[in-house]
Amino acid sequence: MTAVAISTQKSSGRMQLVNVRQRMLHIAKWRLLLVAAGFGALAVASTARLAYLGVDGDAPAALSMAEALRPPRAEITDRNGVPLARALPTFALWFDARPMDGDPALVKSPQELARELMQIFPDENYDNLVSVLSAGKSAYIRHRVLPEEADKVQALGEAALQFPKEEERFYPQGTMAAFVLGYVDRNGNGLIGMEQVLDARLKDPAMRGQPVALSIDARVQGALEDELAKQIAASNAKGGGGIVLDVETGEVLAFASGPSFDPNRPSVLDANGEGLMHNVMTGQNYELGSVFKPLTVAAAIDAGLITDIARRWPAGSQMVIAGRPVHDHKSYGASLTVPEALIHSSNIVLAQIGEALGPQALSANLKSLGFFEKPYLELPGRRNPQLPREWSNITTTRVAFGHGISLTPLHLASAYAAMVNGGIWRPATLMKIAPDKAPQGRRVFKASTSARMRQLLRLIVSIGTGRKADAAGYRVGGKTGTAEIADEFGYHKDRVVSTFAAAFPMDAPRYVVVTTMVEPKATAATSGQRTAGYTAAPVIGKLIPRIGPLLGVMPDDGRDIDLTDLAPLVASGDGE
Amino acid sequence: MIVTRSRLQKIGWAAILTVCFAMLVALTFRVNAVKSEVRLIERKLVSVQQQKELLKTEFQTRASQRKLTALNDFEFGFKAPTPGQYLESERQLASLGKARAADAPAPIMVASAAREEESSFPTLVNPLSGRAEASEAKPEKPRRIATTAGNLGARLSQVSASKRDTIRE
Repeated sequence: MTAVAISTQKSSGRMQLVNVRQRMLHIAKWRLLLVAAGFGALAVASTARLAYLGVDGDAPAALSMAEALRPPRAEITDRNGVPLARALPTFALWFDARPMDGDPALVKSPQELARELMQIFPDENYDNLVSVLSAGKSAYIRHRVLPEEADKVQALGEAALQFPKEEERFYPQGTMAAFVLGYVDRNGNGLIGMEQVLDARLKDPAMRGQPVALSIDARVQGALEDELAKQIAASNAKGGGGIVLDVETGEVLAFASGPSFDPNRPSVLDANGEGLMHNVMTGQNYELGSVFKPLTVAAAIDAGLITDIARRWPAGSQMVIAGRPVHDHKSYGASLTVPEALIHSSNIVLAQIGEALGPQALSANLKSLGFFEKPYLELPGRRNPQLPREWSNITTTRVAFGHGISLTPLHLASAYAAMVNGGIWRPATLMKIAPDKAPQGRRVFKASTSARMRQLLRLIVSIGTGRKADAAGYRVGGKTGTAEIADEFGYHKDRVVSTFAAAFPMDAPRYVVVTTMVEPKATAATSGQRTAGYTAAPVIGKLIPRIGPLLGVMPDDGRDIDLTDLAPLVASGDGE
Repeated sequence: MIVTRSRLQKIGWAAILTVCFAMLVALTFRVNAVKSEVRLIERKLVSVQQQKELLKTEFQTRASQRKLTALNDFEFGFKAPTPGQYLESERQLASLGKARAADAPAPIMVASAAREEESSFPTLVNPLSGRAEASEAKPEKPRRIATTAGNLGARLSQVSASKRDTIRE
């Protein structure tokens, strides 16, 4: 009984085992089937995807070539298509300070790495590098890294030094035309110059493939900056500026101010830019002094006050006019004709002309020359002129020889253009103008007045104070002006602004050139003088032979403007 | 098994369709392969173009006005040409090296300003509008055109014609 019972127990256990085995097998089969089905589904999906890609495989990021090559910001070129500002794809050097798998970000010590980086970038500051690398914060180490430099940094074997791609604004001409162009800050916004003025146009996706042409001529700009820099150094001046203006269209061919800044270093500019960006030509008013005199004479001729150019005006070294004494540098005789007054730069004669002309006529003329508003140009930061509070007889006599009114040199350039081009005033512009699209302008002087002024200006350069500007063969005409700087403490005898406003060729004027030197000193290079004839005029004398042929004005010793009717009226001499 | 004629036809059509479909798929695959090759080449072109731009920028930087001026000043010692280096006409060329005659006039050609011709007649006034008929505005003088290879001949002939009037021989 016992044995049967035992055998029964054994057989039931075996049965159970068989059941379990069968169930396991069943489950295994199902699992296998499921896995096979999964693989099958995957294969079908892959094949379907392949077929889809094969049939309709346009990649989502397929850009057209034009799209891919469109710069993030439009190029700026000069009038002949020479690029002045363009996009430059570069790398930045970024330090990623996040720890890697619990280890510090850097393999080497910050000091050691900084030393190695210094070998690749010798202009970096060692202490700065060490402080950035040991600060434990992610930061840019450097912008504008070239591919070969990036390779060298890569070879240092530091994974924490990374190279994000950047689109930089690059100025191939360096500091040239910095005040015209301005620069682009780290956030991609244009500042200061045309970068700011044209910001929206340069960023516009529809138009940024097309470069923007300025009126600047890179060759003329280069020559102007070169000559200015030399003269600033020679006369030990605080600064200086210059402009070359097309008299027929108002286009600015060159516009310079010194000391300048480097738009290729926006990080430096963002930090302490303001101090570097003093624009002499539009950002500051000066009492321009004697350069103003031809404008007064032109107004007087135009108003019919000077009908006889041979008329003699009383002169001397001092005279009371409108109740106040007016001085001349020295006495040039008891009386002077208008040409002589301009050649010797006589304050006394000009004050009399101003008095005779009267406040209304003179101020109306100056207003039509645009002297009562900001100078016309696209650049931001233009200064308002400083005008006399009231136009009395006294102020009129002072303004007549360039005192008591403060203007930017750009005001003067536009006015001189109107004076020599036949009498039409046009706004100055930095945008290139198509040949037949020059603005109509407004008539300020009669054509006959303009013709007379050309003769007078040529006379000043050929035998007067502007002889250093007389570039042989270019028939230069112009006027010097040296004025003491005035501020809230009054006039400073030791600080002057010297200006020369010129036009050439005088027989058919094409260009006006104005140069201004701020606080030039009497040095050996300026023959111990600080007046415009020795500081501002030589720039023009050297500049015009360089730019004339480039602008289609050929020098010719055999040509000049006819001065035969004025020559008998002048006894040659000096003045300022 | 007897295969009827119509059944055979159906199988035939199906076979042709299958072959056509297979060929279509193969062709589409081929087209897309070429397309992606084109895209790859386009990408290469873009990258080469970008490298070209970079090189251009480098050349422009190396040939900037400042560097050219430095080269001209210090390496070559170039100076702006003087008027003596320019010749306007064949006559000027011929007169080079020739001594001036004893009674020759000054060799400078002067341009006088064209004086506005004032009419001695009073201006006609329109009886209806009360305004002067004659317009004050004068046509603008044509601008002097820069000499280029194309217009050099015209300019030379014009200058020599005017010189002929002024220079006595």
